[in-house]
Amino acid sequence: MSGVAESRWIAPGGLVSAAEAARAAGFFFESMTCVDRLDPHGVFELIYTFNRWDEPARLALRVWAPKDDVLPSLSRVYGIAAWNEREAWEFYGLRFAGHPNLTWLLLPEDTEFHPLLKSFTAPPPSIFDDSMNPSAPEDHGGAHDHAHG
Amino acid sequence: MITPTAEPLDTYTLNMGPQHPSTHGVLRLKLTLQGERIMGVEPVIGYSHRAHEKMAENRTYAQFLPNTSRQDYLSGLIYNVAWVEAVEKLAGIAVPERALVARVILSEFNRISSHLLWLGAFLMDLGAATPFLYAFDDREAILFLLESVTGSRLTYGTARFGGLSRDLDADFPRRAREVLARLKARWQEFVDLVEDNVIFRQRTQGVGVFTLDQCRSWGVTGPPLRASGVPYDIRKAEPYGAYARYEFDIPTRPEGDVFARYMVRVAEMQQSVRIIEQALDGLPEGPILTEGSIGIKKRLKPPVGTLYYAVESARGAYGIILVSEGGTEPYRAKFRTPSYANLGLMYDALPGTMVADAVAVLGSLDLVMPEVDR
Repeated sequence: MSGVAESRWIAPGGLVSAAEAARAAGFFFESMTCVDRLDPHGVFELIYTFNRWDEPARLALRVWAPKDDVLPSLSRVYGIAAWNEREAWEFYGLRFAGHPNLTWLLLPEDTEFHPLLKSFTAPPPSIFDDSMNPSAPEDHGGAHDHAHG
Repeated sequence: MITPTAEPLDTYTLNMGPQHPSTHGVLRLKLTLQGERIMGVEPVIGYSHRAHEKMAENRTYAQFLPNTSRQDYLSGLIYNVAWVEAVEKLAGIAVPERALVARVILSEFNRISSHLLWLGAFLMDLGAATPFLYAFDDREAILFLLESVTGSRLTYGTARFGGLSRDLDADFPRRAREVLARLKARWQEFVDLVEDNVIFRQRTQGVGVFTLDQCRSWGVTGPPLRASGVPYDIRKAEPYGAYARYEFDIPTRPEGDVFARYMVRVAEMQQSVRIIEQALDGLPEGPILTEGSIGIKKRLKPPVGTLYYAVESARGAYGIILVSEGGTEPYRAKFRTPSYANLGLMYDALPGTMVADAVAVLGSLDLVMPEVDR
């Protein structure tokens, strides 16, 4: 991985202790990225980056998380991790143990799909918006009305 | 006789936003109040979510160019350049000297225009209407200048892989220096008009103090961090583009309050002027786009790899995490936006303050909601 000073692969179980060590060493939480590697690997790749102000050196912690695994939440170590984890949940369906409030952050409440999964393709516009398709029948599935939010 | 009781006051919930003049975009703060004191806060975001990250996955690197400046519409040129430089780094595209320097000039002008808009809007939040007009007058001069190069006023799409779409014309340095002279004549007016104002000082000094531990927990960067005494600026920490060759300072203040954030941004505009002057003096001649690079028409196929590319936007550290699988489209693009982290800090910073101070604190963050929601 380029653009980082140090990149480390760790097991999901080692996340909390690695983040605690980073926090103690003066690192701030910079970003968290989830990558869909379900096809063909059956896993999500998570890239956490941390950095420090005094001697800038980006540290990347990378996790290979099997599908359906529950990951440990870093929200007790870094405040902003809570929002990043909510994003990973709504966009990919990843779950985090010990998260204080694992609900939608950016998507409308009750959204029933995880849009950043590679397997997700947007439903046709008519499901969201009647004006796009005036000939659509009145009842076209109640579940999607919620998705519209 | 009525005897005072020791029972705690009832708390109630107040929704500040999604439509509120001080949120500058669609942000809702669920405030738990006791009287006028804030006991708890829950920012509700996502109202302007447009799925930029999903869009990046189903269009080519060049087709994503218009999206970049629509994340942070106030310093869009910096985001536009950041995307192009990230892809250039991933794909190994060379950039001519003139384009590198021109990008710095345009980016710094964009930073000043963003800070000027913040200055006017922030002071308007505090009840001062006049500075808004001065700030917008100056900002207009910058937008006019940028428009003459890029063709746009706000959502710039001028950067190309390997340079810029259009060259700076022969008259550009003269017009740029005119704008700089005008700005330099203005700083003292801001001091007289704003900084020494008693009401302004009382509304801002000692209000909304951010501690370093809070900044670390929430990943706060940019002027809010520098106003807490940390000289962290990507332009110095990881110099990109042509920044390493210019002399400039990172303004900091030790106080960490709203007033300090005001002072830091005003000082930053002066440093940007310094950078632009040096860049104009040393503007090299030559091509603006790499020979053989046909800009947006070429279908790029960067090699397999993962890249983190960081730039300093007007609001703080902006990061692009780009994953390529060798295709014509990015496999994954994640945007680490500064306003997102700076807004998160409100969980810690707002409880204990008064509602009126919350407006001052929010204003001092210079949030752009579309980059929070992406």
